[in-house]
Amino acid sequence: MKKYLYILKTQIIKSMTYEFNVYGNIIMQTIIMITSAYFWRALYTGRSVVDGVDVGSMQTYIIISSALSVLLITNVERRIGSSVEKGSVATDMMKPISLFGMFLAEDIGNIIALIFQNMIPILIIGTLMIKPPLMADVRDLPLFIISVIESFLINWLIAALFGMMAFTAINNNALIQVKKHLIRLLSGSIIPIWFFPDSISGVLTALPFVYIYQLPLSIYIGRGERADILMQMGIQFIWLIVLSALFFFAESRITRKVMVQGG
Amino acid sequence: MIDVNKLCKDYIIKRKGAGLSGALKGLVSRNTDTIHAVKDLSFHIDEGEIVGFIGPNGAGKSTTIKMMSGILTPTSGSVLIDGEDITKHRKEVVRNIGVVFGQRTQLNWDLRLGETFELLKHIYRIPQNDFDNTLNVMDDILGIKELIDKPVRQMSLGQRVKGDLVASMLHSPKVLFLDEPTIGLDVSAKYSLRKFIKEINEVRKTTIVLTTHDLGDIRELCERLIIINHGTMIEDGNLKEITDRIAPYKTLVAEFYDEKAPTHDRCELISREGNVARYRFNKSDITAADIISDLSSIKPLKDVSIEEAGIDDIIKIAYGR
Repeated sequence: MKKYLYILKTQIIKSMTYEFNVYGNIIMQTIIMITSAYFWRALYTGRSVVDGVDVGSMQTYIIISSALSVLLITNVERRIGSSVEKGSVATDMMKPISLFGMFLAEDIGNIIALIFQNMIPILIIGTLMIKPPLMADVRDLPLFIISVIESFLINWLIAALFGMMAFTAINNNALIQVKKHLIRLLSGSIIPIWFFPDSISGVLTALPFVYIYQLPLSIYIGRGERADILMQMGIQFIWLIVLSALFFFAESRITRKVMVQGG
Repeated sequence: MIDVNKLCKDYIIKRKGAGLSGALKGLVSRNTDTIHAVKDLSFHIDEGEIVGFIGPNGAGKSTTIKMMSGILTPTSGSVLIDGEDITKHRKEVVRNIGVVFGQRTQLNWDLRLGETFELLKHIYRIPQNDFDNTLNVMDDILGIKELIDKPVRQMSLGQRVKGDLVASMLHSPKVLFLDEPTIGLDVSAKYSLRKFIKEINEVRKTTIVLTTHDLGDIRELCERLIIINHGTMIEDGNLKEITDRIAPYKTLVAEFYDEKAPTHDRCELISREGNVARYRFNKSDITAADIISDLSSIKPLKDVSIEEAGIDDIIKIAYGR
């Protein structure tokens, strides 16, 4: 365990090395956040509540969604892809360490750095330019934190599963893009799926994506009955179990297929 | 220390036609070829040996090294390091091995060298005392401490390879695999690397397996050679014994006072350049002293020297087979 913590710490140092990436991401997230806030303000013109959510809550939703997106940045899929492509997977595998344990530690380390470099600036910009994103009911905070941790893990497991394809398919860049946009669109990160037609939102509630963004955000803005929220957290937990099982199954056989390119 | 048993590795590669039409066909059809990179390789290496693992490009050297160090899973066969199967217990067995690839690094580009060492210290759970001792020893041989605060991305190739060697020795492995460690290095960097390899072999009794294309590495380091080509073993034995067997000749270089070098019936005149003639003779047929006395009885000699059959001769002969 200690070695993984040290990897995490080292990753924080590494993530602090490149400052430009940091500003790039802040600017991009700010643009997305501000435009969607104005977008929602325009859509709400003349109406105070749509589907049980008022415009203020919707703006909070957008700000927290931007902040949450920082916690949901994963590197594992590109990390595997590039280390297979360059052949540096060799040096990862010759250490007495679990490969995916190391990748998880690196991702968490990276996120810890990003909380300071990205998430806090985004929250400050959101507060100043849109509104203070206050939680609807502070008593839901434990539920919110649990659901965020689970959504982090679900998101990471999906990324790791996509990353594993690089061990065999070699170039997984296209797949990573597909995955990224699927999650963006289907998770309610920009447009909550309660605005979608019933048939589509019905399908989406069965998929894991909405439990990455929309569930914790709904808890934060206090949308939905408590019983309904608890049921959704149950589904979120089931998805976590299913994806973990899938992950451990795939992990046990994937390292046998490792291709080391070059040299 | 190392037991390699009937080791095989097949690669399955997609066959793609040439040009655009080939690329398009490759999208739909799935023709695959199986390449036998390593075929039925078996050998044994004792503790404290330095073994040169050589062969032409594409012979399967690196594939074998990767299987021995647990990076690639063999298609069949087994590798035992200190009696333990590396494919079954990768995480445990890799504690006993260190690997340096001359063409890639295990150091982290974004970190200072010392930070990478600290990370390795935690990964291998090296006690602080041992860590400091090893680092001191490495500093004596390679002068590593002056590099410790330098970011890896600012290092020269020679410095980086030094860093890689130290990184691979931090956890005091019993076996060290070196895959072309001296590639691209200048003469003095090669010299200090070879000195380092010799010292850790003598002092720590580290078993070393080395692949290289550098004849100097082989000459100075390896007592034993394993030569492979097309994935199969073609020679395994003592460097001297292999030399005596495949290239059992020496060359006598004789300089006369004019261009008419005489021939000799028990050795072969292989070249004549100006006043200098080269005679190749078999060590078991005749001694150099006899040839010199025979030649000087025919014509006055100005100068003589004797060349051993070079490793390059052996390699040329062995690779050509």
